[in-house]
Amino acid sequence: MENYLIAMAVSGGIYALMALGVNVMWGFAGMVNLGLVGFFAVGAYASALLTLKAGWSIAGGMAAAAVVAALVGAGVSLVTVRLRGDYLAIVTLGFAETIRIVASNAIPLTNGTDGLSGIPGPYRGALSPEGFNLLYLAIVAMIVTVTYLATERLRASPFGRVLRAIRDDEQVAAVAGKHVLMFKVKAFALGSAALGLAGALYGHYTSYIAPDIFVPLFTLYIKLALLLGGLGNNRGAIVGGFAVVFLLEATRFAIPYVPGISIVQGAAVREFLVAALLLVILRYRPAGIIPERLPRLPVPPEPDRYQPTA
Amino acid sequence: MPQPNGPRRRFLQATGALALTGLAPVIARGQGEPLQLGVLTPLTGAGGFDGPRMAKAMQAVIDEVNAAGGLLGRKVLLVVQDTQTNPEAAVRAARQLIDVTKVPAIMGTWASAVTSAVAPLCWESRTFLTTVSGADSITKLPHQGYLVRTQPNNHLQAGKHAEFIASMGVKRCFMMSIQAPFAEPTQTRATEVLKEKGSQMVGTLIYDKDKTTYRSEVDQALKTNPDLIYLNGYAPDVTILLRELYRASYSGARFAQSYAVTTKVLESLPKGVTEGVITVQPSADVSSPAYELAKKRLGIAEPDSYETQATDWASLVTLSIAKAKLATGTGIRDNVRKICQGGGTKVYSAVEGLKLLAQGRDINYEGASGPCDFTDIGDIIDCKFRYNKVADGKFVLLKVA
Amino acid sequence: MPALADVGQLVVNGIMAGTILAVPAIGLTAIYAVLRFPNFAVASHATIGAFAGFVANARLDLPLLPSVAIAFAVAGLVGVATDEAVLKRFRPAGYITTAIASIALTIALENVVRFIFGNELRGYDLPIRRDWRLGAIRVGPQQVENLAIAVVTMAALFAFLAFTRTGKAMRAVADNPMLAAIKGINAEAVGRIVSFVGMGLAGLGGMLIGLDTTIDPLTGFRSILSVFAAAVVGGLGSIPGAVVGALTVGVGEELCLLFLSPDYRSAVGFVAILLVLTLRPRGILGQRAY
Repeated sequence: MENYLIAMAVSGGIYALMALGVNVMWGFAGMVNLGLVGFFAVGAYASALLTLKAGWSIAGGMAAAAVVAALVGAGVSLVTVRLRGDYLAIVTLGFAETIRIVASNAIPLTNGTDGLSGIPGPYRGALSPEGFNLLYLAIVAMIVTVTYLATERLRASPFGRVLRAIRDDEQVAAVAGKHVLMFKVKAFALGSAALGLAGALYGHYTSYIAPDIFVPLFTLYIKLALLLGGLGNNRGAIVGGFAVVFLLEATRFAIPYVPGISIVQGAAVREFLVAALLLVILRYRPAGIIPERLPRLPVPPEPDRYQPTA
Repeated sequence: MPQPNGPRRRFLQATGALALTGLAPVIARGQGEPLQLGVLTPLTGAGGFDGPRMAKAMQAVIDEVNAAGGLLGRKVLLVVQDTQTNPEAAVRAARQLIDVTKVPAIMGTWASAVTSAVAPLCWESRTFLTTVSGADSITKLPHQGYLVRTQPNNHLQAGKHAEFIASMGVKRCFMMSIQAPFAEPTQTRATEVLKEKGSQMVGTLIYDKDKTTYRSEVDQALKTNPDLIYLNGYAPDVTILLRELYRASYSGARFAQSYAVTTKVLESLPKGVTEGVITVQPSADVSSPAYELAKKRLGIAEPDSYETQATDWASLVTLSIAKAKLATGTGIRDNVRKICQGGGTKVYSAVEGLKLLAQGRDINYEGASGPCDFTDIGDIIDCKFRYNKVADGKFVLLKVA
Repeated sequence: MPALADVGQLVVNGIMAGTILAVPAIGLTAIYAVLRFPNFAVASHATIGAFAGFVANARLDLPLLPSVAIAFAVAGLVGVATDEAVLKRFRPAGYITTAIASIALTIALENVVRFIFGNELRGYDLPIRRDWRLGAIRVGPQQVENLAIAVVTMAALFAFLAFTRTGKAMRAVADNPMLAAIKGINAEAVGRIVSFVGMGLAGLGGMLIGLDTTIDPLTGFRSILSVFAAAVVGGLGSIPGAVVGALTVGVGEELCLLFLSPDYRSAVGFVAILLVLTLRPRGILGQRAY
């Protein structure tokens, strides 16, 4: 049982790390990324290939994963930075799916749908499975903590303030003399770095990655983690990451206790519960479980955003 | 105020004693807690069509075993989890089965990526894994014997299928596959063997399994004028391909795996569309009663490849546990080949095997999906294949070769 | 150099596929035009429509056209109900939150269908007919029927938008909500109607797709990418744009088979979205709803 809980904590930590990264892009800078699983994939493949095929160390691989993902993020945002919010969202979704399709078909490089097995993990051979799990939890906890501190620093820094200004009203920020484009690209790159690092962490933990892992549903989980925890809120991001894993796993235990239904119906009930619970939490906690601490000036709705009168 | 030895107290004592004696058999039974085995199979997602059938087949075997007295004196309970046809979700589900439910065996993974993701967890925790997944890389993983695959590997399958196709007199064969790890190796091997046997693979193509129409792909295939089209996909896409081939008035032969054209699929398609389709599945000798027993157990006219393999997993695992006399993954690993290979009385069902094992005899389990003889790395050594043809919406046996 | 006949066949296939794709694409874009968010739940409503039509046709033995009408009606009603009960409450939180909620909603609805019907593949109780050959081109009677239904539906929709009061009100709200409110148009009622019509179209589209193939709980989910690409390429929020976009995507997906392996087909949808949004975000026909 403990081994299971530790493993789920590692999963939660990886989700939390991703949520922290998306928080920089979305919570701080207001840029929607519906393709975040694509950056996760880029980091995972970068680290896996470097450690498996080029003999790099695991730490080196993880660092490279963050850098590569950051570069890709910078590239994507440079191309799309002038897009309106909802268009940016759709383009990023397309980007993630393109990464997945390329990974499925570029067999000489990525092994295609077969995936990459045997990705090394730190001291994997020397430790018992339980020992490895504990060590990895410590590593993930450390990385999440460092990332949390870094993003908190970012939030309080002038850079962070500018980002929030851009999120709240881009035109005002531009008028105030800030080079909006570069700030957005930097924010996107930083967030992508965290996503890439999370991907590397995932690969080295499970020792196997394949294109089928990097599906849009994963993006949904991270988005929900952020929304649950409260957009713009770093502690909320971490709580949200663990909350999503908890929801996914807790509903698993519920299924055997619903009598008289077939296993397919049981599986359908479980997925329904996950989706429904997420909707309920979203609905009743629109500010997230932990609301953003900074005082927010009321922002008038944009003129062409229609709001129902009731 | 109750008196220490008054009538009420004596009445309560008597009732209590009676209740306890009534409960005694229950308590005694309660001490034999069920032996839990793990089933990890796709109940949602792309594999959702195949997982439930496999789980049902396993449950049927376990029901029989329980009716005959259970395993090691305990009732067997299958604990089912959904892979969602997603490796990340499957890994979490496997962890739950391994670390919380603490099963000695996990049966039923379907997608190759899922199996490759779950396998390391299994061999590290010494849990035994049985699968249908077709990727060649799976048995080559360093699984230390904790994995068996009842599906013949691509080299064996593709070769035998090509031999059969050539033996039918087909001169021009076209293969359409979905994008999966088995696609290329199957194409390559089949092309090789067809050539050896005097036939020819006139073309291959890989299609997207999520499309809702395949007119253009079918056009591409028909342009090469094939005598036979090998549809190497799964039920959702193969049913569409069969419809398209009918509409295009294709009169040549169509060849597909039995799991892509199941009895249920035949029911959902008009007879004209499926008339003459040939299906193939791994099989034991034509004289083996295991397949007939599976038919009866499941109440299905022609159990398909996945249903027979699932039957065999449940049987192999229960027999291994009985032979090892304990329910651990290592016990299963060390004993599985002792009950399904080598000398020993041939048995064709778990119940039959359990009876003989209890008498201290050696057994050799021959399954519904084949003789179930495994190499060191967990692949099927050899097996026959059963070829069925569809006539008037029903399956007719063509041959076993 | 591919033969002209080959190209011709691909174009014909593409037009057929694109016309059917247009139906749910219009639904998606109409909801976007009025309610201002991409409603991913069209995927599950397409599935719901397909199954409603299945129950009507295979279980209640109704012929094709009444079954199609039932597919439209059931999906539309579910669309209004879920919008009122679930999605509407997210609108104050912004369009991204609502869009994400719609993804969770689509998963929930897909599993309701799975709960009721299981994962088995179902087929409609309709005869399957051989294709006709017109010269070198192969066309199926079923395809032509689907095309006819799609065209009639779209014509009816355009008439509705152009000539009826409700339709005109919908266009007004889509073009300029504040002005529409000033003129006294009840935006909420319009929102409900667009949910009904939009999701009804998704359901009808789902059934049309299923008529040619088989249906299962994943039917809508498989097509969502192409539907989305169609709406974006044509211009999100533009109803004629959805038709143009659907034909473009439909033909594009077929023509790319000339030089790409068929398994890259989904890449076409995404690349189309990427290209359009980076080079010409407002799509082919721009942003005006009508």
